[in-house]
Amino acid sequence: MSFIDSLFAGLQLVGNVEAFLALGIGVVIGVIGGAIPGMSATMAVALTLPFTFSMSPITGILLLLGVYKGGIFGGSIPAILIKTPGTPASSATVLDGYPMAENGQAGKALGMALWASCTADLISNLALIFFAGFLASFALSFGPPEFFTLILFSLTIIAGVSGDSLLRGGLSAMLGLLLATIGLDLVYGTNRFTFGNPNMMGGLNFIAVLIGLFAIPEILSMVWNPSSHDGVARSLGKNKVTFKEYQRSFKSIVRGSFIGVFLGSIPGIGAAPSAFLSYSEARRKSPNRENFGKGEIEGVAASEAGNNGVAGATLIPLLALGVPGDVITAIIMGAFMIHGLQPGPMMFILNVDVIYGLFIGLIVSSVFLFFVGSVAIRGFKYVADIPRGVLFPAVLVLCVYGVFAVNNNIFDVGVMFAMGAVGFVMMRYKVPAAPFLIAFILGPLLEDNFRQSMLMSGSSGWVLFRGPITWFFWTLTAITVFAIVRAGIRATRQTSVPTP
Amino acid sequence: MEDRSIQIQLGIGAIAASVFLISVAIPFWVSSPSNVPNIILSPLFWPNVLSALTGLIGAGLILTSVVRPRPEQAAKSDVDDRPAAFRRLAIMAVIMTATVLVMPRLGLVWTAMVTFVATAFLVKTKHPRSALVCAVLIPLVLYVFFAHIAGVAIPQGDFVRLP
Repeated sequence: MSFIDSLFAGLQLVGNVEAFLALGIGVVIGVIGGAIPGMSATMAVALTLPFTFSMSPITGILLLLGVYKGGIFGGSIPAILIKTPGTPASSATVLDGYPMAENGQAGKALGMALWASCTADLISNLALIFFAGFLASFALSFGPPEFFTLILFSLTIIAGVSGDSLLRGGLSAMLGLLLATIGLDLVYGTNRFTFGNPNMMGGLNFIAVLIGLFAIPEILSMVWNPSSHDGVARSLGKNKVTFKEYQRSFKSIVRGSFIGVFLGSIPGIGAAPSAFLSYSEARRKSPNRENFGKGEIEGVAASEAGNNGVAGATLIPLLALGVPGDVITAIIMGAFMIHGLQPGPMMFILNVDVIYGLFIGLIVSSVFLFFVGSVAIRGFKYVADIPRGVLFPAVLVLCVYGVFAVNNNIFDVGVMFAMGAVGFVMMRYKVPAAPFLIAFILGPLLEDNFRQSMLMSGSSGWVLFRGPITWFFWTLTAITVFAIVRAGIRATRQTSVPTP
Repeated sequence: MEDRSIQIQLGIGAIAASVFLISVAIPFWVSSPSNVPNIILSPLFWPNVLSALTGLIGAGLILTSVVRPRPEQAAKSDVDDRPAAFRRLAIMAVIMTATVLVMPRLGLVWTAMVTFVATAFLVKTKHPRSALVCAVLIPLVLYVFFAHIAGVAIPQGDFVRLP
């Protein structure tokens, strides 16, 4: 199929009111979800997922992508107005956004955040369109040993960079992998940890585990400390961002977008490091560097470009290799599977219309984000004023309905609550939840590819080193482990030195 | 809680989990056919490898906290009244358990209403009237969506049935 044919096939799929409406509603939900302190883009996507079951695959996935895009931008609104980042990725925006709000320039800061977000989002989407197909064609030559080493590398980097330490991330990933072994064995069909319960034979439900890990712990945190997430919102002021200011920050926006694209395309790194790297690069290169941290508009532009630049790029490993780039894309991968689609290189052959439909939808989402974002900036006060004592019980009820709706099974609701307790303990013990979830999703793939490799080779381990691709991923894994361990040792040495 | 204490507790927990899995859980709750040609292909292999790695990570956590401890910081609690916080968590656990147990008899909609009210009052909502209104409206709206639009068979319970 030529490029034009694929494009028309995609247009045919998304060229209807329903798809664009879903995308628009998704952006609105995402912006609101991201803007509410205590909620997050991840939680918003997770809670929206059950509503997509009755939709066509493309409409449902566009809805989720809209929530994702909106959520990442939405996080910047409370970061600027109440010094509380709505998402971890917006932490860098606080550095200059809040001082600007204190100086009565909140409207200007939010305007720049929106312009920078939309520009970075567009660049990131274009990068996805250009690189995903290329990477997928390369990945078509992958066999089970290559996929095994790729997934192992992804898990290593996700475990290493998601939390404070590689060991805690590793522990989280191990727990996820262990939980994924529950159910019938992939090859022999024998029971593994099912305890004779038929509900467990198919393994634990992904949505129950996901919502349990990411939404219930937030509710339990609210129960633990009901006065958390309180803040005082600053007024917008009468200043608006000018085209001249956008032009002055353009270099930082483009640089931040490319940093986001690069870091986003590596599984596991996520938006927060990208936002901080983009911010520090902008400060290093800017003529106004002494103004950074005191309310510099270029700082807001750089951090927002850094975190939004990731949003499209995280879909590159998902669509091209079938490996999620972060937690949100892991949820979106779950949505693909629920709708009977398997992300990965074969999707570019079997479901090329869906791929191009998504590309078209993503480009349009940047436009939607601009309009929805403009309105959301003005409407934030109403969102921020939603009482937490009403919001969180509502989220709890939404979780119960959503998880029940997956299989019409009350057992799944119990699993969600159990996973919520696990997630809360992990949160208290500073064990990152992202490696757990991604390992839970990738676990069966990892085991399946390992066992297929062993079947292919008559149980010889050398098959896992059979060619340049496997060696490439083994080398990357070794470099990652070495770099993370070295960084950890350095950090420990620095903190061990007593300050005079 | 201090970083070092967290690290040691996590390490001990991981080793305990690993020992339990290898010595009890896997032998009793993972079954394998007797004619598996190679141990690597056995359904037991993967859980055993993961359990062993969990134990190794646990040992690593303990080792790093003992060999190179991070400087102790004064423990700073995130809540003023910890016993009250634990009490609230215990009540929340009861609410969650009751939600699962009561749902088949009471139905999802009515259970959700009760759960909403109980949670709102547990976190001492400053807007009790809004909470009550939302406790009735939100489960009903969700019922309409899931039952009549998405076609999900929402449990109705034994008492009051909705159209």
